[in-house]
Amino acid sequence: MEALQFIIILIFSPMLQGLIKKFKANMQGRLGPGIFQTYYDLARLLKKDMVVSNVTSWIFRATPYIVFISTLAASMIVPVITAQYPFVAVSDVIALIYIFGLARFFMALAGLDAGTAFGGEGSSREMTVAVLVEPMMVLSIFTAAISAGSTNLAMIAKTQNIFYSPSHVLAFSAFIVAVIAETGRIPVDNPDTHLELTMIHEGMLLEYSGRYLALMEWAHYMKQMLLFTIAVDIFFPFGIVAGALGITGFAASFGIYTGKMLFMCFLMALIESTRAKMRFFQLPSLLGGAFVLSALSLLIYIMMGR
Amino acid sequence: MQNWIEAFYVIDFISVGILLTAVSMNAVSRLETCVKVYTLNSLLLSLLIAIVATIIGEAHLYAASIITMLGKGILIPLFLWKIVKQMKVTHEVEPYISNTLSLSISGILVAVVYASLKEGIFVTGFAKNVFQISLAVILIGLFIMISRRKAITQIIGLLFMENGLFLAGFSLTFGMPMVIELGVLFDMLMGVIILGFFAVQIRKAFRSSDLDKLTVLKG
Amino acid sequence: METESLFFIGVLCFLSAAALSLLPMPKVRSFNYILSTVGAIIFAATGLNLMTGSPEILFSSPLNSMMDFVYRGDALSGFFVIVISILTCAVSIYSIGYSKDVGRAALMGVLYNVFILSMYAVVLSGNIVTFLISWETMSVVSYFLVTFSRDEKSVKAGLVYAVMTHLGTAFIIAVFMILYKYTGSMDFSGMKEFSARIPLHLKDLIFVFSIIGFGTKAGIIPLHTWLPRAHPAAPSNISALMSGVMIKTGIYGFIRVSMDIVGSGPEWWGMVIVVVGAVSSVLGVMYALMEHDLKRLLAYHSVENIGIILLGVGASMVFMSGGFYKLSAIALIAGLYHTLNHAVFKGLLFLGAGAVLHTAKTRNMEELGGLLKVMPYTGLFFLIGSISICALPPFNGFVSEWLTFQSMLIGFRSSSAISKILLPLCGAALALTGALAAACFVKAFGISFLGMPRSGHAEHAREASFSMKTGMAFLALLCLLFGIFPGAVVSVISPASFLLTGSYGMEASGPGVLRIGETLSALSPLALLVTMVIMSFATMVFIRIAGGKRRTEHRDSWDCGMPALTPRMQYSAAAFTKPIRLIFKKIYMPTREVKISYLLKPFFVKAIEYRGEITPFFEQYIYSPVTDFIHKHAGKIRLLQSGSLHLYLGYILITLIALLVFGT
Repeated sequence: MEALQFIIILIFSPMLQGLIKKFKANMQGRLGPGIFQTYYDLARLLKKDMVVSNVTSWIFRATPYIVFISTLAASMIVPVITAQYPFVAVSDVIALIYIFGLARFFMALAGLDAGTAFGGEGSSREMTVAVLVEPMMVLSIFTAAISAGSTNLAMIAKTQNIFYSPSHVLAFSAFIVAVIAETGRIPVDNPDTHLELTMIHEGMLLEYSGRYLALMEWAHYMKQMLLFTIAVDIFFPFGIVAGALGITGFAASFGIYTGKMLFMCFLMALIESTRAKMRFFQLPSLLGGAFVLSALSLLIYIMMGR
Repeated sequence: MQNWIEAFYVIDFISVGILLTAVSMNAVSRLETCVKVYTLNSLLLSLLIAIVATIIGEAHLYAASIITMLGKGILIPLFLWKIVKQMKVTHEVEPYISNTLSLSISGILVAVVYASLKEGIFVTGFAKNVFQISLAVILIGLFIMISRRKAITQIIGLLFMENGLFLAGFSLTFGMPMVIELGVLFDMLMGVIILGFFAVQIRKAFRSSDLDKLTVLKG
Repeated sequence: METESLFFIGVLCFLSAAALSLLPMPKVRSFNYILSTVGAIIFAATGLNLMTGSPEILFSSPLNSMMDFVYRGDALSGFFVIVISILTCAVSIYSIGYSKDVGRAALMGVLYNVFILSMYAVVLSGNIVTFLISWETMSVVSYFLVTFSRDEKSVKAGLVYAVMTHLGTAFIIAVFMILYKYTGSMDFSGMKEFSARIPLHLKDLIFVFSIIGFGTKAGIIPLHTWLPRAHPAAPSNISALMSGVMIKTGIYGFIRVSMDIVGSGPEWWGMVIVVVGAVSSVLGVMYALMEHDLKRLLAYHSVENIGIILLGVGASMVFMSGGFYKLSAIALIAGLYHTLNHAVFKGLLFLGAGAVLHTAKTRNMEELGGLLKVMPYTGLFFLIGSISICALPPFNGFVSEWLTFQSMLIGFRSSSAISKILLPLCGAALALTGALAAACFVKAFGISFLGMPRSGHAEHAREASFSMKTGMAFLALLCLLFGIFPGAVVSVISPASFLLTGSYGMEASGPGVLRIGETLSALSPLALLVTMVIMSFATMVFIRIAGGKRRTEHRDSWDCGMPALTPRMQYSAAAFTKPIRLIFKKIYMPTREVKISYLLKPFFVKAIEYRGEITPFFEQYIYSPVTDFIHKHAGKIRLLQSGSLHLYLGYILITLIALLVFGT
């Protein structure tokens, strides 16, 4: 039963994307698409025929599956509503980052496979952003991991309280920047355009169509929800069930989790609506600043002992 | 009252806030924002003193808090604001060091302070953290003075140093006697006013507020 | 069988292989590589025996009354013997096919076998004399292999290599002289016994000298300059051995001297090693990223990986000096595990690059492309190597990098303030390295193997021969196995870490699981792999049910409605790395040069020539000033060599008198 908590991520991740879009539309005074629109899109894509470039190799065809499956595997080891489940022993947060790395590696290769300039551009930028994000993300996670004495995500979730020290707040802010960059949101990437000047993630997916595209998009939604979940697990895990999951425990934990996810969606929509897309070469100053923030969080943790 | 202060480690949060405002000075290029950041720093400082005053209940600390708020939180920022408006410069153009690098350097400064004060530190308890942070703020203030070109940012760097010194003194002794504090504050005020006039004069004389231009004065 | 006799049979195999390759019959000659494969397997058995058993003397014969010729093995040397054997096994199989087209097969065969034997000799040496003789044999033979193709470039690379390696050897000799003076023993075991007699400040000196001496061989920054020149110049099977295991002898020597013989030192030793490791790994991978020559890129990655190994070793030294033996063992296992892994995947990558070079006749990525279609197997193996080196699950690099992360994280438990900050920050450096490595191999694999062929060479490439594929397949399989059975690998490594730290570090918990009790963290790549396989079937079934059967049309890539895309419109390696080049311009100091020729100025452009380069910092600002200085002043030294016989005799007289006066 507890092993199936990953299904929450599998099923609700497109809705999360819909919610963010809805929030964003409301903030901008638009009606916006319904929150189920992403599901309709996925269903339609699954039923479509595909056009595949004849320049491509098997990498191009394998990538959607590898990306989708590795994201799915990542979601199986993350505690969503309970911290006691079959994979709890291996729910390692560093391993998680590297599983995402596997998906990104293949996505970037697929971008280069069709031999178009768009794909290459997307891959190149994606890897560059990853270079800037990864150290900051690891360092902000280190702060939480050191205070919990473990890199085990369930263990971190069990031992942390809500924002009990300044170092935590700093690490959380750095982590949010990392989440924004990893999910390709403003100000790092613009998910709504297909303009070659701005696109990173879309550039790599340009050659995909039909079910491959559906898998890639779905994996992207799942990754986004997973990152939100990790942020929640690490920085404000209150309400997560530590023991066996009963009916009441499930209901309570799921309710709190829903609330936290709504908060994250709102936060993302707020950031997206109030910030402008940054020029690509200005990103280092944003992400570098976030890196200093995460380094400071570690320092302050060591300095204050909490 | 005391309970929730301890439960939420408010002192920690405020002292880290003081540190962060100092660090973020390195990433700010608009002069108006610089002034705002300094104001925030001073207000946080006065808040910290007020909270410690409620804990230990000493009357002169309340006074110190109010004086800090009025002097450093309102008076000096207002004056700086005026100078910035007069100078008609809004941006720090081309700092010597890029923002990311100077941010990193201020991070390193914090690390150095921590590593050098870890062993054999003579204050304990919450004051230890505050003392370390105050030293870091002093160093960062000095670093701001080194790395910026404009006269006005130099003044702000100096003011950050003074805030750091004040915090250091406060963490060691719970505040110096009122007369000294008043004297220091008055000195600062005078210093800022004089420096402000200098800055305006420099701008008039050299048609630029870059301190680099001062090198032509030597014989 | 006894370890001793296994050792003899192994040596015999390599010697007879060397003799065999001298035979004038080409058909028989290529069998020498089969013999060396057998020799490698026998040596692997020797290594396993050494790891499980107690230290023993394998061979000993007195040279004179003062010194012996001793080969002696313990768990640490046993581990390195296994590492060398694994790679030798694969490379020998590969060489059967590869050596056919290299030319001068006889010379190649002799040098190849002697080279491998000398590496075994280095890690099995029992005393100073044996070590130095083996070390120099290794250096000299590898010099001949670097200059094997005899063209101008490789001769120059060989010269740089020879100079650097002898510089290192000088420092190593100095280390041994100090050790001998104070311990009065030439045997490593004797020196270890009496190491307490060495004064503390001289221990520091030994440490610094051994970093320089062994670090030159290992290729740490800034002593790495020979590496990206020499490794690509050698034939590819030799590059694989040099990059995969020869540089590890530097790591072996360093561990042997600084951790085994001298014992634990002050904490700053470990911190210096950690910083050197972090700098080497970050800068190594950064320079690799800007390299568009496939083999030079891989050579720079060796610098990076040596850095990662040193992160583990350095953390181990930090913990050791603080008395945290268990943590020290974990960190050392991380370092040694990465040593093993790097040998496997770097060997694999160099063999893959060799296969590409063999058929496409170029190492320049900008002329490759689309190779995956014509060389499917080589492409697959190169991809596996790339995933491994980027430390992505479920392959082997991931496990050792995860262990290194854990050792950096538990640096927080160490006692001193500086290491508490330093180790986690170096963990961030490791993350940066990992991300840069991923970018680098997306470039290396994506540009060379995917897309459209960028030149005729790439278009007419063909798949490698059977033996070459077999060699690569063996290593690719090991990449996977070492990745999904980390528990088994660690149980093999742990005797070596027990020897040095007195602790096993990790509790054994099944071959597919890795568990660190200190941080309550665990890793199970096997479970991950199984989950992923099951999930992939589930996904395929779901897609089929949800979407039904759909057609797939094959068309051209999206070309914005223009006439068909040409290979020249693809993203090039230089373009791929441009954002990183600009972001880290403080480190790269890039230069660019654009030449535009016009038909009619300024609107009608005929051609644009773009040349972008990065400034090689260490070569330009450290090495060339030094060499310039030496060139300038070398003339003055010539005065000593006047050609007069009387003067030479005078030198001898002065030397003799000096010896008489100061020597007694």
